[in-house]
Amino acid sequence: MTTNQSPRNSPRAVAWTRRRAALGKVWREFAANKSGLFGLAALVVIVLVAVTVPLWLDREVLSVTRATGEILAPPAGDFWLGTDHAGRSVLALTLWGARISLLVGISAAILSVAIGTIVGMLSAHFRGWTAAVLMRVTDFFLVLPALVLAIVLSTMLERGVGTIILAIGVTSWPSTARLVRAQTLTIETRPYIERAHALGGGHMHVLSKHVLPAVLPLVLANTTLAVGSAIISESTLAFLGLGDASTVSWGGMLKSALDTGAVTAGAWWYLLPPGFAIVLIVLAFTLCGRALETVLNPNLRER
Amino acid sequence: MSQPLLEFRDVSVHYRARAADTTAEEIHAVRGVSLSLAAGEKLGLAGESGCGKSTLAMSVLRLLPKSARLEGEILLDGEDISTMSWGRLRAVRWAAGSVVFQGAMNALNPVHRIGDQIAEPIRLHGSLGSSPSTSAVDRRVAELLEQVELPVERARAYPHELSGGQKQRVMIAMALACEPKLIIADEPTTALDVVVQAQVLDLMTRLVEERGIGLVMISHDLAVLASTCERLAVMYQGELVEQGESAAVIARPEHAHTKALAAAFPTVGDPVYRYAPATSSPLGLPEAPSTSDDEPAEPLLRTEDLRVTFGGTHAVAGVDLSVAPGEIVALVGQSGSGKTTLARAVLGLQRPTSGSVYFEGERVPRSASGLKAYRRQVQLVLQDPTSALNPRHSVYEAVAEGLRIHKVPGDEREHVAAALEAAELRPADRYMSVLPHELSGGQRQRVVIAGALALEPRLLVADEPVASLDASVRGEILALLLRLRARLGLAALVITHDLGLAWNIADRVAVMFRGELVEVGAVDSVLRSPSHSYTQSLLDALPSASVLGR
Amino acid sequence: MADIPATTEPAAEAFGGRRARGGGQSTVRYLATKLGGGAISLALVAVLGFFLFRAMPGNPVRSVIEGRGSASYEEIKRIKAEWKMDEPLWTQFVDYMGDLLRGDLGTSIKYRAPVAELIGERFWWTILLTGTALLLAVALGLLLGSRAAWRHGSRFDRWSTGTALVLWSVPTFWLGLIMLVVFSVGLDLFPTAGMTTPGGVSGGWFAELLDVLHHLALPAITMTAVIYAQYLMVMRSSLLEEMNADYLTTARAKGLRDNLVRRRHAVPNALLPTITIIFLHMGLVVSGAVTVEKVFSWQGLGLLTYEAIGVPDYPLLQGTLIVLAAAVIVMNLLADVIYRFVDPRVRSA
Repeated sequence: MTTNQSPRNSPRAVAWTRRRAALGKVWREFAANKSGLFGLAALVVIVLVAVTVPLWLDREVLSVTRATGEILAPPAGDFWLGTDHAGRSVLALTLWGARISLLVGISAAILSVAIGTIVGMLSAHFRGWTAAVLMRVTDFFLVLPALVLAIVLSTMLERGVGTIILAIGVTSWPSTARLVRAQTLTIETRPYIERAHALGGGHMHVLSKHVLPAVLPLVLANTTLAVGSAIISESTLAFLGLGDASTVSWGGMLKSALDTGAVTAGAWWYLLPPGFAIVLIVLAFTLCGRALETVLNPNLRER
Repeated sequence: MSQPLLEFRDVSVHYRARAADTTAEEIHAVRGVSLSLAAGEKLGLAGESGCGKSTLAMSVLRLLPKSARLEGEILLDGEDISTMSWGRLRAVRWAAGSVVFQGAMNALNPVHRIGDQIAEPIRLHGSLGSSPSTSAVDRRVAELLEQVELPVERARAYPHELSGGQKQRVMIAMALACEPKLIIADEPTTALDVVVQAQVLDLMTRLVEERGIGLVMISHDLAVLASTCERLAVMYQGELVEQGESAAVIARPEHAHTKALAAAFPTVGDPVYRYAPATSSPLGLPEAPSTSDDEPAEPLLRTEDLRVTFGGTHAVAGVDLSVAPGEIVALVGQSGSGKTTLARAVLGLQRPTSGSVYFEGERVPRSASGLKAYRRQVQLVLQDPTSALNPRHSVYEAVAEGLRIHKVPGDEREHVAAALEAAELRPADRYMSVLPHELSGGQRQRVVIAGALALEPRLLVADEPVASLDASVRGEILALLLRLRARLGLAALVITHDLGLAWNIADRVAVMFRGELVEVGAVDSVLRSPSHSYTQSLLDALPSASVLGR
Repeated sequence: MADIPATTEPAAEAFGGRRARGGGQSTVRYLATKLGGGAISLALVAVLGFFLFRAMPGNPVRSVIEGRGSASYEEIKRIKAEWKMDEPLWTQFVDYMGDLLRGDLGTSIKYRAPVAELIGERFWWTILLTGTALLLAVALGLLLGSRAAWRHGSRFDRWSTGTALVLWSVPTFWLGLIMLVVFSVGLDLFPTAGMTTPGGVSGGWFAELLDVLHHLALPAITMTAVIYAQYLMVMRSSLLEEMNADYLTTARAKGLRDNLVRRRHAVPNALLPTITIIFLHMGLVVSGAVTVEKVFSWQGLGLLTYEAIGVPDYPLLQGTLIVLAAAVIVMNLLADVIYRFVDPRVRSA
């Protein structure tokens, strides 16, 4: 019956061609979204700076003891953005600060989205008391003030980057869980799930072949958005003095600014760069995430 | 003839579709339609989904989306709608012409009481004077509710507290509120059960006739239109292809499309339609099987006192049903009769509260592994093929899904090709890499059937297999089921609300009412001379054109 | 777990209509379920409070010792005894729950005063700040959000969504710092810290009220700016979901003015999901209070939490966590009860 079978036409090759085409389509739609493109461009620049900064900016500039500038000097000469309370270059501090923000933001977001996706999918797919307990726990943590919980966690555990990632990650997953749960429930009411059951497919088959692929785009968009909030949380924790004191972070810079009287002294050059950096990076992730969301939103695409 | 109430003069509607890949595209929903309606006349507008009939109807009150562009003239009572100012248009809306929308479920605002929703246009258009007293409005609302045969207290109800039929009655009351000269009814009974559908249609026609209101009724169901309207107009791909007296159009359709529409609603009781769904396929129809009333010794599938209870509601209340090898059994009933739950219990998708299912004389196990083996033998075909296929999976993946789950030995591609061929998707290779949205509704249903056939089952359970398909495709899918039975000896349990379908293809029919089978027997005897009053009421509810001898 | 995939929902749906007509759940049962759920959540908060502070690897004793550099054996023993940590975990738990039920949250290390008393003093100040910000943010967010969605794609929509997105990306504390530098330090329009002028003001209660409002302005505006942005986005997307609803076509067909279609038909439907989300995310407002109170030295629970971090003052931290968490749970409970009387759909859901 199938005489014209050619290797090029094998199901796997067909699937790959289709996936490439789908990816191309996603990119074209994404590229049509101006603010999304701006966000992406900003992200590329920020990531490049953060990754390469050790190559062209010596770590020495962060040292308090070897600072060369005057204390709290406004922008001038070698110090384009002025100096801090210890005479270090605010520009250098801001550039170095990007590293910890990105590291914590991305790691915490991945941790939180991973927990949220698993909890969300399981609580929607299964019924009975396991799902009831998962839902109860999700709703409980959703309502709790996440930052306060993160504060408690980082106070209790040893100071360090790992603690901050953990504290943000394990307190911010419930909204992802709810989103994934809702999406899974929508997918599971689709007749093709019923068909898969009728064909003899079990839980694993339905979850891995139908639910997960349908939820993933949403999860991807959600992760991008979650990085933004995680970065805000990170800077807030650092501002409250719960950060890793050994590394430079934007939140930490702002804390020193407040503690050392830079605010009352009107040292705007010490306040603006780290703040704008946070806003820029969070905005970039948010714009990217929203653009991805509109492109990948399965509710809009399946019609 | 005096001035018509409503006149379309060379009306066209274009949509500017913003396609996903950002190329702007013009869709011509309606092309050059000219049509008129005299005062007090009832006109039926027929056509398949997407033929432009709803667009045409919505253009009467200029209710089209912003992306639509209207050309030509629409004269309502001599006034051109298309050039009206917004203020004038608002005054005309509902006061001169009102609408009974499709699916009253969503057309009523869920957070307002229905009394308030009926009262809204009365206050707005001042049909009781410019600032009517609350009691006057309440009296009018009560009067309207009485007219649509709803208890007056229901004015305080919210939409979700009403049944589908009641909601549609509310819509009718609302449409009558300002005593318009014209009512447009867009698929007013589509989502309703046959019995309720008949009641709502009767009510609407009576009220409209009593008041001399002109009616434009839109439906895909030619029989429904023919039984209510004096004149019929048939649309196809945005154009008006045929119009005339209802009886004439039904009896002697001229356009090929009208013929297909007419044939899709067979006359129950007419031998011409027995084992003969409308098909233009060159494969033709198999011989009608020789039927006998006595049940075979060894049924393929048998249920014994099957019961399914949902928190006090007996969805299935003790059903004994059997399907013989190679037999097609139609399970008919209204929605909520428990027929879908019964099908799910048969498939093992719903755990029965008590009773059992036997397949080839052996009790169907309840364990996952036992069920898995059983599921190779019994396959499911769902109502809506669009949602029964994962939009991300190609036809190949959809058909191969069952093969992969059961780890069927042999070359997967060959199995898939064979299944596609069996479902008459030829050549099979051309369909394999296609995604569901690139196929037509009928082709999608064939893919679902192919996916079932790939496992070489003995029995198909088909839940309303043609209910969401266009009329012209309906016959083709039914003919396929008949051919599969003739060729592969495949038995089928077809769940449907459509007696015409049972007449078209089934050997035996089982009538389900409130969870119980009230009548089971050969199609010829049950549908010609029903013994149970419920079966009789189902037959009575059919539009008059589709039952012989009325 | 059942061995058959028990997807009973679609089948149950066929009967949902009938059940809905039956009138649905009784009010008593609804309230009982919600109150029961709330009680479980409150109990969970208590348990969480216990385990976070007693059973975590970095328990208070170790942190205290680390903080002091070294500690003698006696000292450790004394601390352990003070924290009752030499007893078995479950006796500690029973004691803790008993104390909690009596309203005893322990004694603050920093203030040497009962935690419950400290929280009681600060509680209403936090309510004043968050309440003001919340009301402003809800009003602003819903109003602008519904207008933006209705004129979706217009210049107004683009500007208000753009502003909201930027504000959403601003850390609350930084916005507070900027406000402080510009309006207090730079323009000297508002006080830099506190809730009242030290030493008090003369001129009776009205002058005192004005004084508090003067101090309240900057922190409240800061909080409002960040949270209204979120409400705007939520309201906008809720309304966008309703934009294609059939009942809006009905309303237009009736001849209603566009404004009336929006106000009378679309907004009430979009409002309910929005309010749900606002209440669910009440925790964010509380979190915002922590940083705003720190920046403006507003003597509320947030500042108390911050003060507890530095020491670290475990009983105080535990107390603020429990009280703040309990507050949002109670707020959500209230919201649930109010829905029952506002949304007809919930009434029989």
